[in-house]
Amino acid sequence: MSGAAASGSFTMSSEAEHLGRLRRWLRAELEGLGVDRPTQAALLVAVGELCTNSIRHAYEGHGGQPINVSVQGHEDRLVIEVEDFGRSFDPTRYVEPDLDALPDHGVGLHLVRRIADSVSVDVRRERGTRWTLVKYRPGRATASPGSVDAGAAPAS
Amino acid sequence: MDIDVTRAQDITVVMPRGDLDMAAADQMRRTLTELVDKGDRKLLIDLELVGYIDSSGMGALVAAMKHARNTGGDLRLCALQDDVRAIFEMTRLIKAVTIHPTRPEALGAWA
Repeated sequence: MSGAAASGSFTMSSEAEHLGRLRRWLRAELEGLGVDRPTQAALLVAVGELCTNSIRHAYEGHGGQPINVSVQGHEDRLVIEVEDFGRSFDPTRYVEPDLDALPDHGVGLHLVRRIADSVSVDVRRERGTRWTLVKYRPGRATASPGSVDAGAAPAS
Repeated sequence: MDIDVTRAQDITVVMPRGDLDMAAADQMRRTLTELVDKGDRKLLIDLELVGYIDSSGMGALVAAMKHARNTGGDLRLCALQDDVRAIFEMTRLIKAVTIHPTRPEALGAWA
């Protein structure tokens, strides 16, 4: 395991209008870590989906609640964490959407799983959920995309 | 979000400007629903000025497409930026909706 080359963190309030500010921060962080433009764009979506879930489900639309996002850049990978302190995500209730039915909701976590090389979710907390996404640098070993390691402690 | 609505013959062109995320999705969904409810049957969504879309934004487009098709119409897309197209390709929506490279090509093909 290589040490963190750089890291940054950002806290947003749980209102949808702050998502744009989050994206601007995240894009600057990823740019500084040398992440290519298409990967930046995809990770903006993945992190945005998790923050949207925090607003919509963990905090049930209530504003003024914290959502923490952090990025660690390693030589071989990026590690991004998204954390809230609302109602915990229940991995046993997650159902993969039927994309052939063209659902108009419930596709966010599907996108997260498509974009990240691994996804883990820590719900063994008093309150809230912490997601950890890992995205390997081009040419580096990758885990199987699509797996959600539910209940596991996030990678550090 | 600013959403321009113009008409070219029987085609209604809807052009959102900005990020189509959770903050903008409800407005987009309402706008499209109202157009279909008023009788517009051919909705062309010009995404040239949309650099970001998430599942909320796509959900608004899917809901409007289904609504339009249920009333005998359709919804098509044009001028997708590469980043936006990449997200569409992660769902089946890319196969379910007609996408044109540019607005003029869309208008020419659908007239």
